[in-house]
Amino acid sequence: MAAQVAAPPFNSSEAGVRHRRALDVQCTVGRLTAPVCVPIATLIMRFGFRWRIRDVATSRALYERLLAEDPRPLLIAANHLTMTDSALIGWALGSTWSHVVNYRGLPWNVPEQSRVESSWVWRVLAYLMKCAPVSRGGERQQIARVLDGLRHLMRRGEAVLMFPEGGRSRSGRIDRQSVAHGVGRLIKELGDCRVLCVYLRGDQQHNWSHVPAVADTFSVATRLVEPRTDLRGMRASRDLASQLLDHLVEMEQAYLEGR
Amino acid sequence: MAEQDVFEKVVEIIKPYSKDKEALASVALETSFLKDLKINSARLVDVVLAFEDTFDIEVADEDADAVETVGDAVRLIQSKLA
Repeated sequence: MAAQVAAPPFNSSEAGVRHRRALDVQCTVGRLTAPVCVPIATLIMRFGFRWRIRDVATSRALYERLLAEDPRPLLIAANHLTMTDSALIGWALGSTWSHVVNYRGLPWNVPEQSRVESSWVWRVLAYLMKCAPVSRGGERQQIARVLDGLRHLMRRGEAVLMFPEGGRSRSGRIDRQSVAHGVGRLIKELGDCRVLCVYLRGDQQHNWSHVPAVADTFSVATRLVEPRTDLRGMRASRDLASQLLDHLVEMEQAYLEGR
Repeated sequence: MAEQDVFEKVVEIIKPYSKDKEALASVALETSFLKDLKINSARLVDVVLAFEDTFDIEVADEDADAVETVGDAVRLIQSKLA
């Protein structure tokens, strides 16, 4: 039987309140610049890299329905092979027009902070394109602050994309041992979170890379789950994240068998 | 359980997880998990779960957030055992 986990209160410290307000401002700024930024990103993927996504209408129809029909928080959990996965998944789940009009459907993503801070260009792009950077492996309090912000965003109806493996898979396959605890903790603290598992892979993707090959064609599979656990504390967080990996492993297996 | 006993058990638990053997050799209550022992937050989850198993306690995520040093861990464990 699923345990009902009481969500902890939002971080009520001044820093926590400031952080959430800053995210609200970032969301507003992003919404105002979306009519420019989202089409540019799509053009780069479509005509610059010449990427294609098969049967994109199916994944987009499902995602649109999930956003419209159920107000509960929605987390997107995906496999991770390249640095452009977030953009590709956003593209797979919504058209340029739908992301501009229904901006909350364009998922937030959680890139590595050091990469975002490596140049002012990345900082600006990250700010405008709904990034909430986190220092992976860094101090727990910083990670907790980011998760608190994500919880706030999801309670506002924003979608969030995270990778249960934490980082890009170095083997080209889902790494079952690499469990991103934060994903499970976020689900646990929300209590009523739905998770859309997304498996995205290009025909030419045999391993991890910085970006997929030019002119690659991607297949996308989706699975809606509602992970629950009877465990408590940190074990609950780990269990929830592990469940997502289990789903992604199954989806990967189905993809590989169907190839 | 006395602080020293908890400290010694904590050190035994963290030994396999620390990448910095020099820092481990001179570990003290002030020793930082991340900065000194190079135990990142992902490995710290394993460490805290090992604390739970060894001391038969339950540690919430919020409690673990405050564990930055070996001393923080010792005090947390003692508070759970009290």
